[in-house]
Amino acid sequence: MTSSSVPSVVTQRRILAPGLVTLRFRNPNVAHNTIAGQFVNILPKAGFSDPMLRRPFSVYWTQGDEAEIIIQEHGRGTGILANTREGEILDVLGPLGRPWMFDSADYMTAVLLIGGVGVASMPLLTRKFELDEVPLHTFYGARTSSLIARDHLANVHIATDDGSEGFHGSNVMLLRSYLESGKLESPKIFACGPTGMMRAAQSLAAEFSIPCEVSLETEMACGIGICQGCPVRTEESVFAVTGRRYRLACTDGPSFKAEEIVL
Amino acid sequence: MNTTLNTNGEVKPNLHVKLGNVEFKNPVLVASGTFGYGAEAKQFCDIEGLGGVVTKSVSWKPRMGNSPRRIVETASGMLNSIGLANVGVDTFVKEKLPYLAKFDTKIIANIAASSMEEYRDVLEKIEANAVPNLAGYEINISCPNVKDGGLSFGTNVERTEELTTLLRASTDRLLIIKLTPNVTSVAPFAQACERAGADAISLINTLVGMSIDIYTHEPRLNTVTGGLSGPAIKPIALAQVYQARKACSLPIIGIGGIVSAEDAIEFFIAGATMVQVGTANFVYPDAGVRVAAGLEKYLQQQKIAEVTELVNTLRVKAELKAAGW
Ligand SMILES: Cc1cc2nc3c(=O)[nH]c(=O)nc-3n(C[C@H](O)[C@H](O)[C@H](O)COP(=O)(O)OP(=O)(O)OC[C@H]3O[C@@H](n4cnc5c(N)ncnc54)[C@H](O)[C@@H]3O)c2cc1C
Ligand SMILES: Cc1cc2nc3c(=O)[nH]c(=O)nc-3n(C[C@H](O)[C@H](O)[C@H](O)COP(=O)(O)O)c2cc1C
Ligand code: FES
Repeated sequence: MTSSSVPSVVTQRRILAPGLVTLRFRNPNVAHNTIAGQFVNILPKAGFSDPMLRRPFSVYWTQGDEAEIIIQEHGRGTGILANTREGEILDVLGPLGRPWMFDSADYMTAVLLIGGVGVASMPLLTRKFELDEVPLHTFYGARTSSLIARDHLANVHIATDDGSEGFHGSNVMLLRSYLESGKLESPKIFACGPTGMMRAAQSLAAEFSIPCEVSLETEMACGIGICQGCPVRTEESVFAVTGRRYRLACTDGPSFKAEEIVL
Repeated sequence: MNTTLNTNGEVKPNLHVKLGNVEFKNPVLVASGTFGYGAEAKQFCDIEGLGGVVTKSVSWKPRMGNSPRRIVETASGMLNSIGLANVGVDTFVKEKLPYLAKFDTKIIANIAASSMEEYRDVLEKIEANAVPNLAGYEINISCPNVKDGGLSFGTNVERTEELTTLLRASTDRLLIIKLTPNVTSVAPFAQACERAGADAISLINTLVGMSIDIYTHEPRLNTVTGGLSGPAIKPIALAQVYQARKACSLPIIGIGGIVSAEDAIEFFIAGATMVQVGTANFVYPDAGVRVAAGLEKYLQQQKIAEVTELVNTLRVKAELKAAGW
């Protein structure tokens, strides 16, 4: 059996902040089979016109036969999708990609490092850690307090650029102070956010010699490994061993060990 | 010329087509570089519903491909600059070919190279490791995204002919030359392939295109220009197929912006015997199967018994034809 894209009716649309909405849709396959870190590829507009390609979104939440995504309006595709109304049909392909590597045996405390809409894959990861009773800390950085998507997270330490809530500054600086104080026992960082934040996470992890995984938002055409359009450059050491200069964000990722890739 | 079906639509139209001595179950192939080596899309597409799979261009050595950014969406299409990223012929014959051999469909191995010898060596390596459903080869002399690629062949009539002659001597399987639209006229290239003994030509590969970020003044693609594909190029592809049809008598495989059965039918009417579906796979990984299903429906509705009856049926007024249109 093959599973192509599935028409999925939108059952709920919530506006969290200007330009930030969630869409809940009925899709039993995505709802039951998604593992934290996987994504769906959604068509903004039928008919191969303009825009033509699907847009990737992390699965934000699942419950029963329904799945939810969170959309930050960026360009035309996300603009169209963010304005989908309840009752309308989405064309959804997924779940796609590899999950977060939460099964690695190299940590005791999970550290979720979130920048902006990078929050999208964190609620399912949080649910997994809570189920497995893994201690976790969430360091959530946002431009301002009103842009924080608070649902389904746990033990959240907030940092805002404008100081409107929590720590005034970056979430990476906040995390650094925790690491320096030794408050986190054998931590592993799971990071998703702007490239700048992920680079900072990469060097922080190297400095403290702790494992770190980053989830990337690389441009994609197909999302399933057939176009080669989403390369992620590998570190020299990885290249030396594997002979692979690039990995594919869609099928080898979207999350990667921080020390193995060049951001 | 419409063959009337004798029962109430119960009779299935015949989608089989023959190219050389190879019979394909339907005339819809997936285009090179838009379906990987088959395994990637298997979960989303019934591969056996396709007439065949044209595999990603393979070269002698593995190629890493170009640095990002490799793709940019454009109006009803996209630009790519993948740079022929591929596993190399060793891995191709060890892993990819045996995998595809398990499916009841035809395989066409697409080859890209930077010298005559490399084309021949890759072909002979595949020939030596052939699997039963390997129908033949598509020779990519038309990739616009690498500096050392085959485009230097594809834009030079003599070199096209020389290469085709050389490769013809190395195989009895189908030899298909994939032509570029990035030339003044495709006609002399089609004729060169015919003279040199190719079994068919396929066209078009992507058109050279560009996209610019107006805030940074930088090209969006890492390689500045890339190859344009998708519905945006269909009218150009159709015209080129028509020109090639008039210029030679080789079977033609039409490629360019095909996303539906209607698109495919236009290509048959213009003179193509088969078609390839490319960019559409990125939106619907089973786009080729959808096109084949739509084609069957159209034939049934139109009471046409054989898909081959559509081929080269463009009606152009005699006086226009006489005037060279
Ligand atoms: C694995 C993954 C998960 C993602 N999860 C989410 C999420 O949960 N919520 C969310 O709001 N956004 C998410 N994104 C980013 C989102 O896909 C892009 O913002 C969106 O594709 C932009 O489309 P657009 O038409 O609005 O922008 P445009 O700039 O008009 O898009 C043009 C083209 O560029 C691509 N593109 C542009 N920016 C990005 C980008 N940052 N990432 C990927 N492709 C891009 C588009 O797909 C499209 O092909 C994710 C991206 C990836 C790769
Ligand atoms: C991402 C991408 C990769 C491609 N790679 C190859 C390739 O490796 N070899 C080749 O002969 N053509 C390649 N092509 C060209 C296609 O096979 C096809 O000729 C072209 O895209 C036009 O068809 P379409 O509009 O249906 O996509 C590629 C096209 C795209 C979009
Ligand atoms: S998006 Fe096509 S290969 Fe990754």
